[in-house]
Amino acid sequence: MAGKKASVWTSISFWRRSAAWVTGFATILLIWLTFDTMAQIRMGTDKELQEGVKRRIPAPTVINYKIDYKYDEKRGLEAPVIGPEKQPLFGKELSPKEAAALLHLGKLTSQAKNCMDCHTLLGNGAYYAPDLTKAWLDPMWEKTMPAMTGKKTKEEAMVEFLMHPDKYPTHARMMPNLGITEQEAKGLVAFLKHMSSIDTNGYPRGFSKTIKEFQTGGTYAK
Amino acid sequence: MLNNTSNLSPSKQLAMNYFRVAIVLFGAQLLFGLIIGLQFLYPSFLYNFLDFSVGRMVHINALVVWMLYAMIGSVYLMLPDETGIEHPVAIGLGKLAFWVLTAAVTVVVLVYLFIQVGPGKESTIWLINEGREYLEAPRWADIGIVVVVLIFYANVFFTYMKGKKTGIMTVMVADLMALAGLYLAGMFFTDNISMDQYWWWWVIHLWVEATWEVFVGALAAYGLIRVINAKREIVEMWLWIEVLMLFGSGILGLGHHYFWIGTPEYWWEIGALFSSLEPVPLVAMFVHVLYDWGKEQGQHQAEGKGSSIKNGPTMAWISINAFGNFLGAGIWGFFHTLPQVNIYTHGSQFTAAHGHLAFFGAYATILIGMMYLGIQDAYGLKRLKATFKSKMAIFLITFGVLGMTVALTIAGYEQVLVERAELGAGWQAFFTAQNLPWYVQAQVWREIMGVVTFVGFVYLVWDLLTIGKVQAKAEQA
Amino acid sequence: MNFHMFEQCTDITCNSFFAWLNQGPLTLTIFLHTVIILPMIWIYFSEKKKLERGE
Repeated sequence: MAGKKASVWTSISFWRRSAAWVTGFATILLIWLTFDTMAQIRMGTDKELQEGVKRRIPAPTVINYKIDYKYDEKRGLEAPVIGPEKQPLFGKELSPKEAAALLHLGKLTSQAKNCMDCHTLLGNGAYYAPDLTKAWLDPMWEKTMPAMTGKKTKEEAMVEFLMHPDKYPTHARMMPNLGITEQEAKGLVAFLKHMSSIDTNGYPRGFSKTIKEFQTGGTYAK
Repeated sequence: MLNNTSNLSPSKQLAMNYFRVAIVLFGAQLLFGLIIGLQFLYPSFLYNFLDFSVGRMVHINALVVWMLYAMIGSVYLMLPDETGIEHPVAIGLGKLAFWVLTAAVTVVVLVYLFIQVGPGKESTIWLINEGREYLEAPRWADIGIVVVVLIFYANVFFTYMKGKKTGIMTVMVADLMALAGLYLAGMFFTDNISMDQYWWWWVIHLWVEATWEVFVGALAAYGLIRVINAKREIVEMWLWIEVLMLFGSGILGLGHHYFWIGTPEYWWEIGALFSSLEPVPLVAMFVHVLYDWGKEQGQHQAEGKGSSIKNGPTMAWISINAFGNFLGAGIWGFFHTLPQVNIYTHGSQFTAAHGHLAFFGAYATILIGMMYLGIQDAYGLKRLKATFKSKMAIFLITFGVLGMTVALTIAGYEQVLVERAELGAGWQAFFTAQNLPWYVQAQVWREIMGVVTFVGFVYLVWDLLTIGKVQAKAEQA
Repeated sequence: MNFHMFEQCTDITCNSFFAWLNQGPLTLTIFLHTVIILPMIWIYFSEKKKLERGE
């Protein structure tokens, strides 16, 4: 033992150096993780979609495809199933450029109309209105809303609803009229359909339950 | 608080200006909170006039901005004491920045209230609102905020470089740089919602669960030295331990926001364990405050000198901060931080419950404490004693926020079990849960407790306006 | 019996360092915690030496 007895635990210098090290290194790790994640959450390409290559966030042209949300045995959670059959939005297949432009308009509109201060998107936002993560797949859009708005398809019903939400009340708590134009509404539908194709690691859990119950004539079949 | 700041140093005078605006915005936050809380019960209230989205935007933006104001104020308050310099290097510019910021905030709020939403164009994001929760401020205001914050930071940094370099100030200067720099991560537009939210969390999480927490640690350290004469060496050692633990858990704790936004599965593990450790430093901070208080008080009594507390209200708010931070940020955060739980609770009233208690316990409390410290300085009081009004404010605000939190937690349980677990989170599932009697009752309680909080706020303002004058007279007599 | 303690990567992308570590019981997060905390032992002893030298 050396001459002096001193406790490191009460040494400011020890804690200062440790704090600097931990903060610095955690930051470096976070930056490394960010690079890794960035590569994985880049939007995919149209080519990858055609070849069936899975991406966490598919290309905008995913709106040309049929999207489903099914339980994945291996992962133990629900995951989006994209295609292979096509289901073009508004019955018209869009080129990568057109799809990207429509998605751009939709995302921009979602911010301009401040959707996030009533709804949650990917679970983030306010809690006054339903989560929109998988709204495109919501059973309400299969029969109830098209019937209410007098439209044939769910995308047309969505556009009509978004333009005049105050005309189609489903509950006492109603969406306000935000002056959404027809083109903006179409953009929003594209944005919602695209969002439903994002692999959210199984959130919201059990969403497929409502889908399945609808398909088998369960709770929401009316 | 409104008058008699002439005998303060320029830095502290500027601090009082920031506190004044902060308290007004705090009032706005509570008022709009009451309005949107009422809309949960009467959805037709102000429908298509001042919709929930607008009220909520003002509610949360007023919250963030009043806290930033009070934080800047607190830094200007401690700057002369810590550095020994009464004139920050560019105090004139600092004053100008205050008025520019206040004008900008006023314009932003007026636009929120009277224009509300815009067309789906870039111009809306630049001029009206950015539509990203907490960061709704339009881009022009973002840039303005960056400029103002740079001026503030330059003032602090160069004053620090010129003066004494205490441990507290060193932590503060480093922390403020990270805090200001992080804001830049929220200033871009992308079509990719996952990318959008990835960087959005860099601002929100790394603010409130990392840099703001360290900021609070530094404030508490400064406050304890001022209020109970705590030993600087002990306080600063604790501060470094807190920095170590807060950043050690908080930086990678960011992972708990990356469970479900399209980011890879490996974030589950990272987010789960790192964020589970986030309460540890909050316990440490609580223990530290009680330890120092007990120690100083014991010494005072041994010497027969009575109370060791030189500022009653500040000490009370620091103590509530220590416990509230642990309870609101620590316990309520831990409730739903594990992915196994969070997959059901994410984006429910649970989050709202946590948000209310955490912002109050971790930040509102200590910032109010700093305002009382400012008043003590402004009136040159040796000791500031809590008045009846201070006590009413403390009791009603704390009780009100706790009540809101419990109510929202109950609402959250209802929502999570019925909407999420039972029905699977669809449109109808959402409203089924929202209309459950127990859920609705909880929302009524939340509103009642909101009113209690507001009454407490009225007492707080009343106290802040009068406490200094009354006690100055008493001290002279 | 399968207790799912060791699960082969089922994520969308598996050719990532972090995804590779994320296949056992908390392996990834324990690894990260360890590399953050371990060097503190070195800091500890280096500080101890300094103190003993009376700096």
